[in-house]
Amino acid sequence: MYSVPGTKTCIVAIAVAALTLAVAAASLDAQGRGGRGGNAQAGANTTPLPPGPVTGSVANGRELYFEHTCYGCHGFNGETGARDLVGTNSPILANETGFIGYLRLRTDEAPLFPSTRMPNYPESALGDDEARDIYAFIRSFRLNAPDVEDIPALQTIIESASRPYEP
Amino acid sequence: MARSGNTPEEKSKQGVDRRGFITGAAVGAAAGAAALVSVPGSGARNRAVPAGAAASPTPQQVERDAGNATPPAEVRAVRRPGSDLMVEVLKDMGVEYVASNPGSSFEGLQESIANYGNPPNTMPEFITALHEETSVDMAHGYGKAEGRPMAALLHGTIGIQHAAMAIYQTYHDETPALILAGRDVGFIGAHSANDMAGMVRSYTRWDALPTSLEGSLRAIQEGYRQAMTPPRGPTLVVLDLEFQKEEAGDLAVPAYTPPQITGIDRTTAREIAQGLLAANNPRIQVGGLRTPEGVRLAVELAELVGASTSTSATGGSMSFPQGHPLCGPGDDTGYDYTLGLEAGGAQISLRRPNRATMVAERDTIGIGFNGIGGGGGRGRGGGGASLTADAEASLPAIIEEVRRLRTADNERVIEERTVRHATTNREARIQAVTQAVQAARIGWDATPVSTARIYAELWPLIMNEDWCLASPSNFSGGHHARLWVHNKPYSYLGGQGAGGMGYGAGASGGAALAAKHRGRIVINVQTDGDLNYTPGVLWSAAHHKLPMLTIMHNNRAWHQELMFLEYMAGVRGRGTDRAHIGTTLRNPDIDYRKMAEAYGMAGEGPITDPTQLAAAFRRGVNSVKRGEPYMIDVVTQPR
Repeated sequence: MYSVPGTKTCIVAIAVAALTLAVAAASLDAQGRGGRGGNAQAGANTTPLPPGPVTGSVANGRELYFEHTCYGCHGFNGETGARDLVGTNSPILANETGFIGYLRLRTDEAPLFPSTRMPNYPESALGDDEARDIYAFIRSFRLNAPDVEDIPALQTIIESASRPYEP
Repeated sequence: MARSGNTPEEKSKQGVDRRGFITGAAVGAAAGAAALVSVPGSGARNRAVPAGAAASPTPQQVERDAGNATPPAEVRAVRRPGSDLMVEVLKDMGVEYVASNPGSSFEGLQESIANYGNPPNTMPEFITALHEETSVDMAHGYGKAEGRPMAALLHGTIGIQHAAMAIYQTYHDETPALILAGRDVGFIGAHSANDMAGMVRSYTRWDALPTSLEGSLRAIQEGYRQAMTPPRGPTLVVLDLEFQKEEAGDLAVPAYTPPQITGIDRTTAREIAQGLLAANNPRIQVGGLRTPEGVRLAVELAELVGASTSTSATGGSMSFPQGHPLCGPGDDTGYDYTLGLEAGGAQISLRRPNRATMVAERDTIGIGFNGIGGGGGRGRGGGGASLTADAEASLPAIIEEVRRLRTADNERVIEERTVRHATTNREARIQAVTQAVQAARIGWDATPVSTARIYAELWPLIMNEDWCLASPSNFSGGHHARLWVHNKPYSYLGGQGAGGMGYGAGASGGAALAAKHRGRIVINVQTDGDLNYTPGVLWSAAHHKLPMLTIMHNNRAWHQELMFLEYMAGVRGRGTDRAHIGTTLRNPDIDYRKMAEAYGMAGEGPITDPTQLAAAFRRGVNSVKRGEPYMIDVVTQPR
């Protein structure tokens, strides 16, 4: 299952990832955060990068996504959680190489206090093939939410906000 | 704020033969094996008790426990038990409930609650809890909902230790709670100690070990007063069993006098009134006040001066109503005079003494029970002059000065400003909610269920009810803060106090006690990890018919810790595929509907299909409106 890439592949991956991260950081800043705020404004402040090809297995990726507890922050289908994935147009997800590079580049972050930030994934912990499978699964995520206009509960919430105050 | 127990009244009652008899019995039981020591600082100069050894039961006590002791027929040695007077004291102060699980050290008081009064077991009513932690959690939730204490009754050393964590959270939350603990020095030695309150002294507001019946009555009153007086917190009164059981004779119940909480002086009140009236655009920042009356006064002041206000009602109880026309940024955010009420204000802030004061006075050995490296709290911060004065107690004087100083010109300007604020704030609210629902719809159809959908589906069902969200929302996304309107002093009761688990259900039970006779319903969005500390609350809720709707936020994990462990594994480059170890609650999955059923609570679930949510919630709300608690197990997304 593990695939050991050559040194050259690694260097290319890191270089691409570094570039991707710079773009990603700017993008996330523009959205205020890559989470819900980003979703609410999907498409408003960002231009999606052209998605790269998917070479991994969605089925394997589904299992790995659960085993490696990616759902912990990103929800079981990428829509919810502290760091949802769908609709963010994150450059980190633009292509496999950038995604894998992002996983590998977080080695030095060791805060003193507990953190819920994205963990680092060296190749020894998550091989390139596994990462590609996870990427494939993530790329299968879709925003399935109905429009607000089609959700009665949310319509009621909007209407109630304008109701006169009653002590 | 030292321990009580040495009042003149108590001294006058000391040294009676009865006390000597009990002490003698204890000494005899210890067979002289233990040295006799006095109780330091307790005021009980003559109270010699054995140290270092647990006293064995006397032969009479063993006989009694074996059921072999037969009291003489038609002889009632005690016609007016001391504990009846204790019940009178609780009644006088309006203590509605005493939560407890039974213990021999307070059998006198428990019997009085059950049988004394007309009707008996009313004000206070004995609430059967299944764990002392829950008893105090209930008092914690009740205190936050009502702004005043109910009581928890603990059994000796062991009960206090069971309750300790909940006491600690109540203290950290600066919430009034009256805690009573029974002590029986002559029965099971291990359940008694010279200084039982010492175990929790560093995180209680005040404690007492009274040395007479009259002292006990006064100590209960003082415990209530101290709990209510800023810095507020839990107080502990240790009640010796002998005073519960003794013949009170013609002893009168002392009159209760409420605490006198002082605010700012008249000059300062006038200056604030002048500042608010002279400003073109005054602002009032409102944090957590003490009681519903404080909230009413804050509204009155804001309306009198036409000030826009902030609120912390989405973060905890007793703040400005979120839907009030003046609540919001206002027509103009260039405020030229800002008053802070338990919150920061650019010109002046009024803040009552807080936990730091308690720590300074109580945590004398420096354990660090104010937290290390943390601190702060709701509504802290702000740049203006900060006065350590209770905002709620200060408001009447400010209002009076405003009324005195307000001119016809003021009134016209204020009226116009109020209209502008109302329009702008309404628009701001609609805009904020419109954005919030866009975020809440993400994952609307997701399976497991999104936490946003839980809160969103609840709102249409409760918005026309008198509701209280008693559970902390920090682990379930806090969606109510963005989707609901918090207009009551008790709309949301805030967090655990010190982040301790096992709080949600108990505090919701306490809030439901407050709600029970007031036509109110309580919502408990219950995290699964938290419930497993204190599941017995479900039985208490069913037994006492509490209007408590429990909706499980069942992500089958202590999820925060799962994320922490993921990151730690990542830092060490070891992968996250074992981060579930010790952080998840799977294999087997816990069936919370069955748990509720086992405790006698109706319920349904587990629900994984979000389309089933609304109908289930409707059944739940209808149930609790009938006074029947209900549990809905919802399998959720992690957050």
